[in-house]
Amino acid sequence: MEKIISIKNLNYTYPDSKKPAINNLTVDIYKNEWLSIVGKNGSGKSTLTKLIDGLIDADSGTIEIDGQEINEKNIWEVRTKIGIVFQNPDHQFVGATVEDDVAFGLENQGMPREQMVKEVDHALELVGMHKFKKRDPQTLSGGQKQRVAIAGVLATRPQIIIMDESTSMLDPEGRRTVLNLIQELRQQQDLTIISITHDISETELSQRIVVLNDGQIVRDDIPRNIYDMGTDLSKYGLEEPFSDELMSTLRNSVELPESYLNEEELMKRLWKLRSNM
Amino acid sequence: MEITFEHVTHSYDANSPMANLGLDDVSLKINDKKFTAIVGQTGSGKSTLVRHINALLKPTAGKIIVGDRVITSETNNKNLKPLRKKVGMVFQFPESQLFEETVEKDIMFGPMNFGFSESEAKDAAHKMIELVGLNQDYLQKSPFDLSGGQMRRVAIAGVLASNPETIILDEPTAGLDPVGRHEIMDLFKSLQTKGKTIILITHNMDDVANYADEMAVMSQGKLVASGLPSDVFNSQKLLEDDLLTLPQSAQFAQSLAKKYFQFDKLPITIDELSAEIKQQVNGD
Ligand SMILES: Nc1ncnc2c1ncn2[C@@H]1O[C@H](COP(=O)(O)OP(=O)(O)OP(=O)(O)O)[C@@H](O)[C@H]1O
Ligand SMILES: Nc1ncnc2c1ncn2[C@@H]1O[C@H](COP(=O)(O)OP(=O)(O)OP(=O)(O)O)[C@@H](O)[C@H]1O
Ligand SMILES: [Mg+2]
Ligand SMILES: [Mg+2]
Repeated sequence: MEKIISIKNLNYTYPDSKKPAINNLTVDIYKNEWLSIVGKNGSGKSTLTKLIDGLIDADSGTIEIDGQEINEKNIWEVRTKIGIVFQNPDHQFVGATVEDDVAFGLENQGMPREQMVKEVDHALELVGMHKFKKRDPQTLSGGQKQRVAIAGVLATRPQIIIMDESTSMLDPEGRRTVLNLIQELRQQQDLTIISITHDISETELSQRIVVLNDGQIVRDDIPRNIYDMGTDLSKYGLEEPFSDELMSTLRNSVELPESYLNEEELMKRLWKLRSNM
Repeated sequence: MEITFEHVTHSYDANSPMANLGLDDVSLKINDKKFTAIVGQTGSGKSTLVRHINALLKPTAGKIIVGDRVITSETNNKNLKPLRKKVGMVFQFPESQLFEETVEKDIMFGPMNFGFSESEAKDAAHKMIELVGLNQDYLQKSPFDLSGGQMRRVAIAGVLASNPETIILDEPTAGLDPVGRHEIMDLFKSLQTKGKTIILITHNMDDVANYADEMAVMSQGKLVASGLPSDVFNSQKLLEDDLLTLPQSAQFAQSLAKKYFQFDKLPITIDELSAEIKQQVNGD
């Protein structure tokens, strides 16, 4: 597997703060993977994002992106490879209309106007916000803002997309649609997805989950092994996936295995028990 | 306080060619001292609806009756303080609500604005910060030097500190870690059992099933259903029209019913689901 991001011994403490927000963090992220980053409020997830994008400078340690160590000189070039959907979409809006806003990133890339209009329309269609292209982004509903913020990033066609809780205000249907869209794009375009989320069911889409706590990586594993942490999950602010929770409540009177089953596996097991009756 | 919407319509930019209906002839009663959840797709009018309750928005037509106050298109902005003291609101984006230099001053702002003395307001701030799961150290920080979830908690503390009778929560748990989400939902429930009226906008159907007494479903500015969660989530019509997503327990039950299992009414909480499964598997 080819590394797309390689972070070594990264440290960062905010000015006036006593505690490091990122504490000697080392991780490799591979091309085309979908990585979930989870952890308590304040564990350092958004800070890590800002460091990767060079919005803040690490106190020590290195970040390599696509083989290049980021520094003051190359940060602008490196940044074109990364698209970030920030936690609060209001911070992202710069345009007076939705279409201007989505066009902003493309203008920066120096794209010719005609092509730009096409790309903007396409990105807005992907997220279902085409009808709203003349609107002031500030007047959109919460979920509509999040969709536009996602369109803004998709339009620039980055190699790496970091989503910082960017579907937290979408309705369940809408969230599924957007995540499926991202999954499709990842497969078609060799994208790398880093998704910061508090939604445990969303992590099922990922190949790997990194658990942050106090600025450190405390677990780095495939989803199934993370879900098997049991009561340790709550120590890191997480919850069990639904099927696990259901299994715990059933276990005292229904015979079930000790290890994690996903919903489908659990359902098959229950059908079998029921049909044997 | 009982809250009644009577044929409320809200048109954004009513006089421009871009006019769109945020609310379309909504009539709804929100009962006193109940926990009411409001759900619906992105852009369906949920935030628009609740902003009428403390007169942040005025109806284009119709009226809202909040306790002894009536809000119409004619209502002017004077003398709204008594209403806003009774009806606290946590906004969808917490940052829009934070503005002071320190977290402590931020939480104290509401109470002092509504007539608490400085020392009472300070006491409230010290009490509330713990209730939302942050320690006293955060009081002296700037509210803008916090993580997203920490800001959310401070915004909630700020609203609770003035002790409003009715508490409106616009997606208050978006951005909270799951452990924090459960703690904060339990906190809202305990406030309700102590006599508050809670109005919660959420996309989390499990929270609706677990915490709400009543629910309302919005779609394209219209109220399309209201009632008990166990009834609303069992409405075939809403599900067929894709106006509602089921809680995870109900979804699981639905799939389980494809073979061998049968549910007269879909269970909506994990306890209901597990009781049903036990009974059907063990035959007792
Ligand atoms: N601008 C800032 N100045 C000082 N401290 C900050 C700043 N932003 C964040 N912090 C602190 O750094 C730590 C890490 O914050 P960060 O925003 O990275 O957390 P997070 O994991 O993204 O949390 P959340 O899930 O709440 O978004 C927290 O303790 C937070 O209070
Ligand atoms: N200031 C405004 N000007 C024009 N249209 C607006 C304004 N505010 C909201 N709208 C529109 O009114 C509709 C209802 O918006 P509202 O914010 O009430 O939705 P919501 O149900 O809260 O959605 P979400 O779950 O995404 O927050 C949306 O289509 C929105 O774009
Ligand atoms: Mg964050
Ligand atoms: Mg809203």
